[in-house]
Amino acid sequence: MIYLDNAATTRMYEGAVDVYKKYACQSFYNMSAGYNKAIEVAKDIDETRNLILKKLGVRGYIIFTSGATESNNLAIYGSKRNGKWEYVFSEGEHPSVYNVATDLQNQGFVVHFVRLKENGQIDYEQLQNVINERTRLISVMHVSNETGAINDLKRVDLIRQKFSPKALLHVDGVQAFCKLDYKIGDYNIDLYTISSHKFHGPKGVGALYVKNLNALKNITFGGGQEKGYRSGTENTSGIMAMGYAISHFNTKDNYNYVEQLKNLLKEQLSVDKKIKIFDVGSPYILSVTFPGVNGETLMRALQDYDILVGNGSACSTRKAGNRVLESMGYNLNEIKSHVRISFSEELSLKEIDFAGKKIVEVYNNILEKVK
Amino acid sequence: MKVLLLRFGELYLKGHNRYVFENMLIHNIKNMLAGEDFRISKTFGRYVVTDYREEREIELIEKLKRVFGLYSLSPADEVDSDVEKIEDYISKIKCEGESFKVFVKRADKSFPISSMEFAKKLGEIVLNNNKNSYVDLYNPEHEIYVDIRINKKAYIFDKIIKCQGGLPLGSSGKGLLLLSGGIDSPVAGFLMARRGMMFEALHFHSYPYTSELAKDKVITLAKHLTNYVGNLRLHIVSFTKVQEEIHKRCKSEFMITIMRRIMMRVANKICEKYNLGAIITGESLGQVASQTMQSMTVTGSVVKDIPIFRPCLAMDKEEIIQISKSINTYDTSILPYEDCCTVFLPKNPVIKPTIKQALGEEQYLNVDALVEECLEKEEILEVSSEFDNRD
Repeated sequence: MIYLDNAATTRMYEGAVDVYKKYACQSFYNMSAGYNKAIEVAKDIDETRNLILKKLGVRGYIIFTSGATESNNLAIYGSKRNGKWEYVFSEGEHPSVYNVATDLQNQGFVVHFVRLKENGQIDYEQLQNVINERTRLISVMHVSNETGAINDLKRVDLIRQKFSPKALLHVDGVQAFCKLDYKIGDYNIDLYTISSHKFHGPKGVGALYVKNLNALKNITFGGGQEKGYRSGTENTSGIMAMGYAISHFNTKDNYNYVEQLKNLLKEQLSVDKKIKIFDVGSPYILSVTFPGVNGETLMRALQDYDILVGNGSACSTRKAGNRVLESMGYNLNEIKSHVRISFSEELSLKEIDFAGKKIVEVYNNILEKVK
Repeated sequence: MKVLLLRFGELYLKGHNRYVFENMLIHNIKNMLAGEDFRISKTFGRYVVTDYREEREIELIEKLKRVFGLYSLSPADEVDSDVEKIEDYISKIKCEGESFKVFVKRADKSFPISSMEFAKKLGEIVLNNNKNSYVDLYNPEHEIYVDIRINKKAYIFDKIIKCQGGLPLGSSGKGLLLLSGGIDSPVAGFLMARRGMMFEALHFHSYPYTSELAKDKVITLAKHLTNYVGNLRLHIVSFTKVQEEIHKRCKSEFMITIMRRIMMRVANKICEKYNLGAIITGESLGQVASQTMQSMTVTGSVVKDIPIFRPCLAMDKEEIIQISKSINTYDTSILPYEDCCTVFLPKNPVIKPTIKQALGEEQYLNVDALVEECLEKEEILEVSSEFDNRD
């Protein structure tokens, strides 16, 4: 199986499974209990917090959650304040941010959506125009899950410092964490979301980085775990397994290797001039359109050759479009023929070579039949 | 004693073969209630369900409401049809402050008092026991029915619950339903089943142009239909090759016409093979290009020896939607997966094709071979009515 949908999820590291098992079957204690065995688990969990902070290159707090959706909800609803505050989101956000934004709008808050430009990044001029001293929160994703475009967070921060210094900056870093080399301390980020299963950790666990806890309120209620911001017994095995994945993910080496994979695939695909490749940011994600063929059809046809590609959160009907690509100015036909190819360091150059050729072949086969 | 009194509708119209229908109905009732504790007996013109667990009454009623051939039912109390015993029962009815009406029906003419007389008498008893109540013959808040049957029992109840009507399932033979995944075809199946026709279903898919999810959706629809028709056999046929061939060789505006002609041929063959006596479709006159009078003439003309039943033919979309909601297929039908009819959809499909034109297009195809190939790759699923997470 040649798995080219690593932006959807990744294979869990075997070592992470071992760690998961250890904390599920041996050190399974509830870390809130007072006996030494439990205190040891709590210490291990705190080590994982430090590991994440170190990776992010910043001081602050880590709140463990069930994943990015919960982190994003906590970041946005948790920082919501009553009064005449305004909220700013990009049009390229993942549904776990975007649908929160539309909910705020339905609740009567003033919500601004910033367009995307052709290169997949947000329109910084528009951002500048919509933020002001009433802005409570700006939420911009780090790397687009659809296109791999990387937003210039330094620039976002500078605009914020200048036009709305009090506004909080939330960044959904799901497709960036571990994969890109950066220090969020450089961008003065207030809230940062990560998700374990995107870098070979288990599903069902994630975290929210919080610079200043005073900015946040809890949105669920219970036993007061995670400093009260996320009640519920901690998913200790999940958290420890995530920690394993973080410490075994070699950001620099993987980046360089994945870039090689991506370049090889680009080379293979560009043999066919009809195919349009959109390569603007993270080497982990390549957005490709195959004119004349429905992306979903291509995806299904490729799986018969054991090649799995994604079509993102793309359209499943004739009617529904794709919000992100639409915002970038894609027309409906381009959206329909869009496929997302996303890499992992576990792929070999040989596999990519085979996949690249096969994709071109299968694409042309279908095109021949449907044109 | 608590009982459920069942009435059947149209079976009255039957002559000397009426017992066949009645036996079928009772068989279907027993099937529908399988797993429940109950007994069922027949008195002239009624079935009576007895000895069931009272706490299951609501579920029993829900199930019986899905049995075709039943016209209505009433949860009732059974008493001996004796004047005093009935009066005694009626004297215990509480409807303080409400308007009421007593209906008496006397199938047993040996009962000593006429229906009218007895109704008056019982009304008086109710009035005496409920001082602030009054009789309202036109719009009563409380209805009291007394049904005196020839088995020397009287059934007393306060409501009549409407059932599906129609004829017992199986009494009208067995057909083949073309099940697309849309709103209309499950409704068509339901309507034919209500007229007593059992059916198997046939679905065409076009992988990889359509998704596995589209197939799953059809299985879910079939599952919903099993609530009415019991276990259902689903034939699944790959139509990819046919569509590719038509697309390649025929004029694009004839895509749908030729496609449907081949579908009909495949259906015809499957009917032959499995001994099914009719093709059922969800077509509604004029709804889309392939459902005009001319299109149906052209697609229907390839079917030999059996009829095509189109129960939605004269219905408006809104009426079809209403039925699909009532049989719980609507929410599944509107899931947004492409079905095989939406792939290769021409911009301007022909609205008034002729048989001659269709034959003209088909000469570029090896129709028989395509039909054979469809049949070779036929997949059969037995969709059972057991509960699973689709429900």
